Amino acid sequence: MINSAVLWYASRSAGAVALVLLTVVSAFGIAVNRQARVPGLPRFALTDLHRNLSLLAVAFLAAHVLTAVLDTYVSIPALAIVIPFASGYERFWLGLGAVGLDLLLAMIVTSLVRGRLNRTAWRAVHLTAYLCWPVAFLHGLYSSGDLRQGPLFDLAIGCALIFAGAGTWRLVSAAGRLPRARRVAAELSAAERERQTSRSPRAPQGPRR
Amino acid sequence: MSDTQAQGQRTTASDRPVGGSLRLLPPVQGATERLSAHLARNGQARCRGTALVRAVGQAGLTGRGGAAFPTDVKLAAVAGASGRKAVIANGAEGEPGSVKDAVLLRHVPHLVLDGLQLAAEAVGATEAYLYTGAWLAGWVRQTLAQRADDVPVTVIEAPPRFLSGQETAVVSRVSGGLSLPTFSPRRVSERGVNGAPTLVQNVETLAHLALIARHGPDWFRQLGTPAEPGTTLVTVNAGGRRTVTEVELGTALADVITAVGTAVLIGGYHGTWLPMTTALSLTLDNRALRRHHAALGAGVLAVLPRQACGLVETARVTRYLAAESAGQCGPCLNGLPRIAAAMAELAGPRPRRGTVQAVERWAGLVTGRGACHHPDGTARLVRSALTVFEVELGRHANGRCSATTHHPVLPLPRAEEMPLTDEDWL
Repeated sequence: MINSAVLWYASRSAGAVALVLLTVVSAFGIAVNRQARVPGLPRFALTDLHRNLSLLAVAFLAAHVLTAVLDTYVSIPALAIVIPFASGYERFWLGLGAVGLDLLLAMIVTSLVRGRLNRTAWRAVHLTAYLCWPVAFLHGLYSSGDLRQGPLFDLAIGCALIFAGAGTWRLVSAAGRLPRARRVAAELSAAERERQTSRSPRAPQGPRR
Repeated sequence: MSDTQAQGQRTTASDRPVGGSLRLLPPVQGATERLSAHLARNGQARCRGTALVRAVGQAGLTGRGGAAFPTDVKLAAVAGASGRKAVIANGAEGEPGSVKDAVLLRHVPHLVLDGLQLAAEAVGATEAYLYTGAWLAGWVRQTLAQRADDVPVTVIEAPPRFLSGQETAVVSRVSGGLSLPTFSPRRVSERGVNGAPTLVQNVETLAHLALIARHGPDWFRQLGTPAEPGTTLVTVNAGGRRTVTEVELGTALADVITAVGTAVLIGGYHGTWLPMTTALSLTLDNRALRRHHAALGAGVLAVLPRQACGLVETARVTRYLAAESAGQCGPCLNGLPRIAAAMAELAGPRPRRGTVQAVERWAGLVTGRGACHHPDGTARLVRSALTVFEVELGRHANGRCSATTHHPVLPLPRAEEMPLTDEDWL
């Protein structure tokens, strides 16, 4: 029998790491959607990072929920992991955690079979990310007092600011978005401008023969 | 660099449409073959249905739209499917250097339409479409009105886009959407027009099929090579003209290219540059061309005359190809404009050092990473230019250029015909 305190701390720390990972995954997902660049990373690497970090977040969430259920200090039924509001202990706030987990699993499963799925359906499921993160955040903030004091409070505020910032930027940039057909022309003129302005100044103007 | 040459896919007065005929094109050149003349010359089809699928396989007919895929495999795939099926004759011909499909539809429309009917019958399709440019659509509708076909044919207008003839783009347009390539794990022979299994064949392939139905596979194999039998239409771009000629596969390229020049672009704007000396030693078939990393494609050959610069011409074409990107896949949307801008730099005087390496790196990064082969084809063109025009690159590094004229050589649409809105893909 593992010491209950170990499970308790494992659960809390895995939850905190999962919060950080989900915040990064959300921000990267928004960057992928807006075709933004993260310095030092090619765009395809950003996509891969978004996918892989989301799978890593699931691993930490698994540790988080399993240790919470195994811990005997408070009794949480195993079913409460996926069925919202099935736990007697902190019924509402743990329920939010189950809602968040369900949404995340739906996003992961639809993404794994994305090639076989119609794009609109995949997108509809994926858009629930904007519900999933806030729900998970509230769950983290109110299931226990850990995130409401000390350095973890600063961490939680930091995550919230990153998520809110990325979300706001997404809305603003989506409003000013170019139609698909214009994007090519915009990229072409941007590439040509970049080439011209960065040319060495000693280059003569026309071809000599 | 000025892109003012007014040439779209439309045949112009400066084109000499027919340079030579063997089987497809009528002996009397310059005139449309009427239905009666067509039947008098070619007779009635004797081989039909599943027997025709077998005959096409024995004949060894491959697609003439560019991919050279065995036609009987496609026919059998759609024939084996169940439910509602469709056939599309693809005459979009988005390639600015090609006019062979237009020439075929102008001169022998009944041969193409016969092929469409025979293909529809062979696969059991109840819907047939002919997909071609707006300037030919009215003409084809008039021709259809003179015929009594079993399977009704709907003419769909193809927008003048480089990619509008790509198979999935064709199916998307015929289904009522934009003519954009789509990414789907299902082939169009499983799930095509509005979900129905669909056969998409180039109009020239269908014309060959109509002749095989009349004369049989042995007759078809009398010309061409054992590996690549039959004849094919090529469009030779030389001296500002596009000339369509029907040649045997395996003909010496020296017999096809009579113009003087320094290099030849083989296979169109997704093709490969070869030095003229290399090209003249080859035969016109994919087996010979493959050894030089070239392919016949849709049969476009373009001669680079002595007074033109291959880097300038490639830069013009690359800019056009970048602008024709559908803008759907990141590597294509972001990579092609960069490659085009770098090629423009290489075409000018004293490009910065490292630009060639940058182009080669980007060409590797975009290859194989699109829903269609547009980035791959563009990378192929650019890479072959950097190899074949290596001496010219050295001249440009010293601020010199071997071009003695600024007159553009390779045909391109006018700059104002570049796509800007989604309607340009309709």
